[in-house]
Amino acid sequence: MVDQSNSDIPAVTMTQVNKWYGDFHVLKDINLQVADGEKVVVCGPSGSGKSTLIRCICKLEDHQRGTINVLGTELNDNIANIDEIRREVGMVFQQFNLFPHMTVLENCTLALTLVRKKSRKEADAIAMQFLKKVRIPEQSTKYPGELSGGQQQRVAIARSLCMNPEILLFDEPTSALDPEMISEVLDVMVALAEEGMTMVCVTHEMGFARRVADRVIFMDEGEIVEQNSPQEFFDNPENERTKLFLSQILQH
Amino acid sequence: MANTPTTLPPTIPLTHTIKQNLFSSPFNTLVTLLTAAFFITITYKFVDWAFISSIWSTEDEPLCKEATGACWSVIDARHRIIFFGLFPYEEHWRSTLACVVMIATIIASCVPWFWSTAKLSTLWLLGFCTFYILMHGGLFGLSVITPERWGGLALTIFIFAAVSIIGMPLSIVLALGRRSKLPVIARLFGLFIDFFRSLPLLTILFTAAVITPFLLPGWLQGDKLYRVIAGFAIFFACYQAENIRAGLQAIPPGQDEAGLTLGLSYMQRVTRIQLPQAFRNSLPAIVNQFVITFKETSIVTIVGFFEILASGSAAFGTGKWTVYYIEVYVFIAAIYFIFVFSLSRYGAYLERKLRVGHG
Repeated sequence: MVDQSNSDIPAVTMTQVNKWYGDFHVLKDINLQVADGEKVVVCGPSGSGKSTLIRCICKLEDHQRGTINVLGTELNDNIANIDEIRREVGMVFQQFNLFPHMTVLENCTLALTLVRKKSRKEADAIAMQFLKKVRIPEQSTKYPGELSGGQQQRVAIARSLCMNPEILLFDEPTSALDPEMISEVLDVMVALAEEGMTMVCVTHEMGFARRVADRVIFMDEGEIVEQNSPQEFFDNPENERTKLFLSQILQH
Repeated sequence: MANTPTTLPPTIPLTHTIKQNLFSSPFNTLVTLLTAAFFITITYKFVDWAFISSIWSTEDEPLCKEATGACWSVIDARHRIIFFGLFPYEEHWRSTLACVVMIATIIASCVPWFWSTAKLSTLWLLGFCTFYILMHGGLFGLSVITPERWGGLALTIFIFAAVSIIGMPLSIVLALGRRSKLPVIARLFGLFIDFFRSLPLLTILFTAAVITPFLLPGWLQGDKLYRVIAGFAIFFACYQAENIRAGLQAIPPGQDEAGLTLGLSYMQRVTRIQLPQAFRNSLPAIVNQFVITFKETSIVTIVGFFEILASGSAAFGTGKWTVYYIEVYVFIAAIYFIFVFSLSRYGAYLERKLRVGHG
């Protein structure tokens, strides 16, 4: 079991992590530590490896060299370790990835009944509690296809929360949304951050980063180029590549 | 809500639609009228032949020579051969009851309430056992009737049901196997599927019936009927596997990833996330395969089984009935139509049902 009371154990520790897609070196000597309760925002140009980085944390991608430790358990080929980590790490995807053949409520209760072995009734109660939290309980009997993008993403967040994760990973959660729906999702994320959830977010929402991040990480070409507090990162970027990137995304 | 006046699209009168689509130009009008005339003539001729000028009972057979319509006397006189083939006359009630049991089992398994592995397996186990006891006998004082003497509708439905119920789980295994992440497994399953798909059904049935007895030890051979069903089921499964695989491939990879990050096991992801979506994606193709299979059951004639088409041929094969083969074939066609059309309508119902919430 993961010892949840011991907050000395970092949530995530990546040491000298390397990954290739064929010949393409997508992650280069990544060293990263995320403390319990810390909120980290990862940004960088497309193709910089930021999505791959967080996908490695829940083993959606395999790394080929280096070690990744999540909540004190090493992510290796040991199936039991992988299962244990996946139960403690939630993931929110760019494309929501809700199950289209299930209602909103069923989406949320599926893993509760199958993985957490809750009864139907308990699972429903937990799911409704989190649907209320993302302010969408009235949609519980609808199917994902009947909801707007923003609503779907909030359901996806509720679905992850139902598993009571220690760490929540966000992979560009607002990139697939129409502009008017971005804030409803960000509001939910801000609320979560304020409750102390450990979060690693790949996002280009710099306003969100400024507001909740403890640390902003800039990646380019598979490397962590710069990391700093949001204040320093945005106001006094050190690296030339960071400056270029910030000038590109902030000029409008 | 009540305060906002809702505007509705203008309603288009039916006459306008008809005029627009059927009578918009002189040429269009001509085509419409000719087509209508053609279909009315055909329908009238058929109704006249089948119902108005037709002869119905066995006793009236002598009138058939003069009549311009169908001579249904042949059905009246020979329907038992069509329905039961070589099954002993005094035991026909058993075949009828077996047929009813099998059809009831098929219908029941179409009802969503039965859709769980436990319920479906119980249902089919009961269905097959009852069918077997009724047809084969040897229990409860029923005389033994070996499968060589089974025939007609009961045999057709039995082969269809057995092929489907063996073939369907097999097809799921084959489809999943072909998508395995392990290249060796994927290749082996792919080879298996492509091998059987490359062979004509006839060859497979012939091999199962005639050649396998030389290859298999005696205790493994079973009756010819079961070997033929096994061969047929493998053939069905290979085609159905490709339909299911198409459905699996249409699922975005994010679905499986979402399942993974929620901690679901492989089996849980397959049964709860992948297969339900795969079935929905390729439902038309899956139903189509069942339809084809129902009709292909007639091929078992070639290895000596009197399914309904073959027993129909036997029905007009003797004496005075030889001239009335059209009536027999129309009758058999009607039976096939009832089954296959029901199957298609059920498929359409499923599509509507499963489309719920799909945007």
